[in-house]
Amino acid sequence: MSRTRLTAVFAVLLVAIGLIAAGCGGGGSTTGGGSETGAETSEGGGEKLTVGSDIPYPPFEQGKKGSYTGFDVELMGAIGEEIGREPEFIDSSFETIFRDVAQGKFEAVMSAATITEEREKVVAFSNPYYLSEQAILVAEGSSIKGLADLKGEVVGAQQGTTGLELGKEKAEASELRPYPEGPDAINALKAGTVAAVIIDAPVAANAVEETGGVEVAEKVPTEETYGIAVAKENTELLEQINEGLATVLGNGKYAQIYEKWFKEAPPKEIFSLGKGE
Amino acid sequence: MAEPMLHLKGVHKRFGQLEVLKGVDLEVQKGEVICILGPSGSGKSTLLRCVNLLEPPEQGEIFLEGQDICKGPGSGTGEESWNLDFVRQRVGMVFQQFNLFPHKTALQNVTLAPRRVLNKSKSEAEEKGRALLERVGLGDQLGQYPETLSGGQQQRVAIARALAMEPHVMLFDEVTSALDPELVKEVLDTMRELAEEGMTMLVVTHEIGFAREVGDQVVFMDGGVIVEQGAPAQVLDHPREERTQKFLGLVLER
Amino acid sequence: MNVFFEQYFDFSIMGEHFGEVFEAFLENLLIFLVAGVIALIWGLVLALLRQLPSRKAMPIRFLTIAYIDVLRAIPLLIIILLISGGVPFLNFIPKDIRIPQWFGKPDPFWYGVAALVFVYGAYTAEVYRAGIEAIPRGQMEAARSLGMSHFQAMRHIIVPQAVTKIPAPMLNELISLLKDTTLVSVIALSESVLISREILAEQLNSSALTLTAAFFLVICLPGARLVDYMIKRNQGKVARGSHIEVA
Repeated sequence: MSRTRLTAVFAVLLVAIGLIAAGCGGGGSTTGGGSETGAETSEGGGEKLTVGSDIPYPPFEQGKKGSYTGFDVELMGAIGEEIGREPEFIDSSFETIFRDVAQGKFEAVMSAATITEEREKVVAFSNPYYLSEQAILVAEGSSIKGLADLKGEVVGAQQGTTGLELGKEKAEASELRPYPEGPDAINALKAGTVAAVIIDAPVAANAVEETGGVEVAEKVPTEETYGIAVAKENTELLEQINEGLATVLGNGKYAQIYEKWFKEAPPKEIFSLGKGE
Repeated sequence: MAEPMLHLKGVHKRFGQLEVLKGVDLEVQKGEVICILGPSGSGKSTLLRCVNLLEPPEQGEIFLEGQDICKGPGSGTGEESWNLDFVRQRVGMVFQQFNLFPHKTALQNVTLAPRRVLNKSKSEAEEKGRALLERVGLGDQLGQYPETLSGGQQQRVAIARALAMEPHVMLFDEVTSALDPELVKEVLDTMRELAEEGMTMLVVTHEIGFAREVGDQVVFMDGGVIVEQGAPAQVLDHPREERTQKFLGLVLER
Repeated sequence: MNVFFEQYFDFSIMGEHFGEVFEAFLENLLIFLVAGVIALIWGLVLALLRQLPSRKAMPIRFLTIAYIDVLRAIPLLIIILLISGGVPFLNFIPKDIRIPQWFGKPDPFWYGVAALVFVYGAYTAEVYRAGIEAIPRGQMEAARSLGMSHFQAMRHIIVPQAVTKIPAPMLNELISLLKDTTLVSVIALSESVLISREILAEQLNSSALTLTAAFFLVICLPGARLVDYMIKRNQGKVARGSHIEVA
């Protein structure tokens, strides 16, 4: 190509890139907080509250941007109402989500996140809002009936989750495969490339109902609880969230949302745990 | 008179829009040395390349030992339909740029085709190869790679290589044009010896001296046709056509 | 600034997980070796198919060129995901091939190798092609004039010379291939990037990734320098005239 033609091509490319960048920048970027802790007021709910979450993870968070739904989403919405903030969910990768909230990328994390000691080194958790257990998900009709049967099998789980931890500790799997997203692991199960998946019980139940072809072999109670994470310095927000949580636990809103998503009444323990007792 | 070794009838060749050969007729007897002269673009190289089917002609007939090599099974559009093997194993070619295989020694260059195409054994091919290289005066260069040889030496290896396939006709395409002047003689000498041994040769060349001394016939080509043809003394010293005279005038001035 | 070093250069974490990350890096090397060897062969096959001269071979040439174009145009990551996401469901393929567990390596390993071979076969084919096309036409003409078939000429004359011209660009492709083995992490193969990300999730620290980057540096940087050196040396050779260049 001649010199002048080359220059012309570069010029066109630069202009094109410039236009695209301008278009993207202008049209409503939604990267949350950073150092801003609540600038815009949006209609109805008050100041925006940026919430990081690994979407999708049904039935806790799912859907498309702008119309996310799920247990976590609705519960956070209810809490937000009580404290005068409007939550805005931001899709993030689970494995960096705690570090991200600690550094202010968003103000809170609501992502079916189990409260663990390791995580508490970096973030502060609210009172528990959900009692969880893990489930072993298998293909329909599989001969695997429980944790013990996982010996020598290829097992999948999601990267960075307590399900993966459980797999490492208790299952003597021949291979433990960490998938980037929960649904990836479930897909692998359906494809037959893994024999079982260790994943949060409600997610497993959701998979059984929604996707089909799979069944829950065993539920493994792990005394895990989920919490809402915030940066350690953000004691004010933490207090507000705990108050909001206590309120919705008391006024029946929590139970309503719980039944909608899990088709059963919430366990008694959560009412005391959630109020910090 | 016996059937000619090579008989071209009405050969036309076109490259895209350009017609390079516009109807060439030529007869070559066994053992004859035909020297082809002409300005560049006259089609002389193309004519040679038609004879060994490197460029298949669009139109016309080429009889090699009585067989029309332009005809073949099928439509005659693809190379396969030309009688390729028959031609290539009877017609040898030596190129202006030598085209030796640089990754093989002189001996290997000479023995490769006999081994792979004629399926001769290694010892048989090497024996023959050695003899041929000695014949062209390179018996002591068997293990040398082309890059260590002079142009003249390389061209002689190329001649030996072509001879190894025991051709009936040898085509020489301006084989001395790329050589330094002091190296030209050794190659021409080799060709002269070959002619004296009775090889049928078509030689495209600018070497008028060679044409005069070794050629049995001289052919002058211009613009895709044979303008004049005849005994060397006649064509070179008393050309009949104006174009021939003009060309020779220019060439001989050098 | 301290935070920067803590996040990326925490040597105690690097030390703690060194063996783990190194072992996972060996997995990258293994993928590289397996996929690399196969891709080098597959690329040569493609390049030769593309060179078939006869009219009858036109459909083959066409398909080969189409393959090369398409596989260089679709991102490798997508190919990896397409293979691992779709092939297991193709029930008409027997399970042993559909979900390969050959030689003790799990299916993501083989899906990854397959994707790398498909894509890098296309890239290496182009390198071979450049090498072949750099051989002067006179070589093929001389070979054919001596009676050799197209295939014989390719095998004895063209390809042996072509492969001496291509080590530099080929090495470039191979370095690229080594780096791209990290993409297989996306289908849950325990290679170095995946392991480092797991450590990241556990320790909330990126030092394992830095360590992985260092492993790659150690191999790829000298590799790139070697390529530069080879190119320079080859240019010198041409300038000094050990190649006969056709006028």
